[in-house]
Amino acid sequence: MTSREAFLDRVRKAVAAGNRAGIVHPLPDRNGVGYQGAGSDPLERFEIEWKAAGGQLHLLHDADAARAKVLDLIQTHQVRKILLGSDPLLTTLDLQQFLQQRGLEVIKVQDLEAATSPEPFFAADIGISGVDFLIAETGSLVMRSAPNQPRSISLLPPVHIAIAERRQLVPDLFDLFHKTSEFSQDFGSLASALPSCLTLITGPSKTGDIELRLVTGVHGPGTVHVLMLDS
Amino acid sequence: MNDYARHEHHDFPGAVHQALADEPLQAALVRLTGTLMAGNRRGYAALADSDRLRDHAKQIKEHTLAHLDNYLEQLEASVVKLGGKVHWAASAEDARAIIVDIARQSSCKRAVKSKSMTSEEIHLNRALEKAGLEVTETDFGEFILQVAGERPSHLVAPAVHHTRESVARVLSKYVGDDLPDDPKTLALTGRRILRQEFHQADLGITGANFAVAETGTVVLVTNEGNGRLTTTCPRVHVALMGMEKVIPRLADLPVFLKLLARAATGQTLSVYTTLITGPRRPGELDGPEEFHLVILDNGRSRILAGPFRESLECIRCGACLNACPVYRRIGGHAYGGVYSGPIGSILTPLYDSVSNNPELPHASSLCGACQAACPVKINIPRMLIGLREVQHHHRTSTWEHLAYKLWSLVLRKPRLYRLALRFARMLLGPLADDGWLKRLPGPGAGWTHARDFPVPASRSFRDRWRELYAKKEK
Repeated sequence: MTSREAFLDRVRKAVAAGNRAGIVHPLPDRNGVGYQGAGSDPLERFEIEWKAAGGQLHLLHDADAARAKVLDLIQTHQVRKILLGSDPLLTTLDLQQFLQQRGLEVIKVQDLEAATSPEPFFAADIGISGVDFLIAETGSLVMRSAPNQPRSISLLPPVHIAIAERRQLVPDLFDLFHKTSEFSQDFGSLASALPSCLTLITGPSKTGDIELRLVTGVHGPGTVHVLMLDS
Repeated sequence: MNDYARHEHHDFPGAVHQALADEPLQAALVRLTGTLMAGNRRGYAALADSDRLRDHAKQIKEHTLAHLDNYLEQLEASVVKLGGKVHWAASAEDARAIIVDIARQSSCKRAVKSKSMTSEEIHLNRALEKAGLEVTETDFGEFILQVAGERPSHLVAPAVHHTRESVARVLSKYVGDDLPDDPKTLALTGRRILRQEFHQADLGITGANFAVAETGTVVLVTNEGNGRLTTTCPRVHVALMGMEKVIPRLADLPVFLKLLARAATGQTLSVYTTLITGPRRPGELDGPEEFHLVILDNGRSRILAGPFRESLECIRCGACLNACPVYRRIGGHAYGGVYSGPIGSILTPLYDSVSNNPELPHASSLCGACQAACPVKINIPRMLIGLREVQHHHRTSTWEHLAYKLWSLVLRKPRLYRLALRFARMLLGPLADDGWLKRLPGPGAGWTHARDFPVPASRSFRDRWRELYAKKEK
């Protein structure tokens, strides 16, 4: 018997022995239990939760305002090296040209290669990315890893700017997993619908390891800005 | 003096005495009440339906354990389909050998670890270091403990027994500089040191808060982001999970996510919830090229077969520790094992042995605060009583047997009971001091060592009732 077979055999026997002693429940249906929703105004709920988690939110009405805000934040944080992701919204804003014209050093994720990518990731002062979803109930950003959206962009630089649209808000955490499941119809199996890394970000990096006192920015970004555009 | 913070031990009474006299520890434990314990209550209160959601979570766990063999096989198939590798470890020794072997095969030299109690359970670091690897704990609390050479004392706040002054001392010595004892400076020093380690590491080792059978997804929940860095920077990722961490469907995950952080700290969600589904895909710029999942038994199948199966439902949130009046007086190191608090009082005797840990099932007032705080409502008091029963069956003292026999006989015969009571009154009355016995003679001395014993009332309730009733009738 291989170690795998021996392992599973032991578990099988233990399951049978233990099941005899009690009732075996079927996998329960949730029937809506635990669904919180986000009330009549998901954006308001997101704002409350996201700010409670220590995140910053800027509501903006158009592309010009968004670009101006990005520049303003970069100047406030006094940083130079910018790591720029790419998604349809970021492409529309054409941040690369806008920032380069103002003398800033912009590294576009698309221009990087896997072999050399760690260095610019570690060196960047600020990461600018899109998001895939926002969860109103929990005040979270949802980011799928992809060639144009590496894990590092929202992780390694000390400041993260996430640019989102209002229509990307889902009310409840359960809705996200419903949406994630929906991909299965397009992709054949649920597993391949998930990216290699799906991350929910709820505020800046935190630790309470010294006397349970909150300190931000211990490993991940200490500051996270969400720029929310009207759709 | 024994150093209970460094070594696992079986000296519960000795460790308790030391803990009670440790003033910084006592101050640290008081802080738990106002922060994590209050957070747990606030968290549940803020979640509509939290009670029913906890029942639902428990039912998912019960179902999973009742079909654990099937779900483990499904998990394996899903991981393999993604290009990951699954390893089966029957014991701690197997798990250590497997992980050392992965490191060798992939020529890894430097490992970074995100916080994992399961890796503590199998004493992984020592084995990796013996095999020539450099290992760094990257959870800030765990890093402090690694430098100090200590064990974690809490499931989610491992360095809770430290003060800012002691952390400053530990880190100052490490960096060879005099650091101020301000938490922000200390944490950012940690960031600087550990960022270098992430840059150089080629092996990332994590635990798993959950593993989804249907998708092969390993879920990591952290506040600092070290779990993300561990699964982003090194080229090899090894996830070590106790086999009970599997859940059936992706749709079951949000049920647990909604409860875990609320139970642990009162947060709606922890800062980072990371779902790892296989290794890096083509075109991606970061993430590990290799993904290994090590599934650990190490005594769990024995527990699964018996009356303490419910203990395998634990999601390691630490809520029962914060709620427990015993843990909040003695801290985590006193319990002696890897897992502490009420759940540790069950897990340590089960994993290690009941006879090695005879005091742990009694380290509880059975008040039920642990169960009330538990996100999956584990009936910890029931299991503690169950362990006491196991001890009773193993008991060898004939005197104790005889005493319980006599006790049970007297309780079953009202006339004998009344007689015994009258006898006790006669015998103990003269020894009383202001209605209390401060010191009992002979075998009773243990009882009055730390508390007084009440003198039986001069008249029994039955006598008084009879009299009152007679008066009323008149």
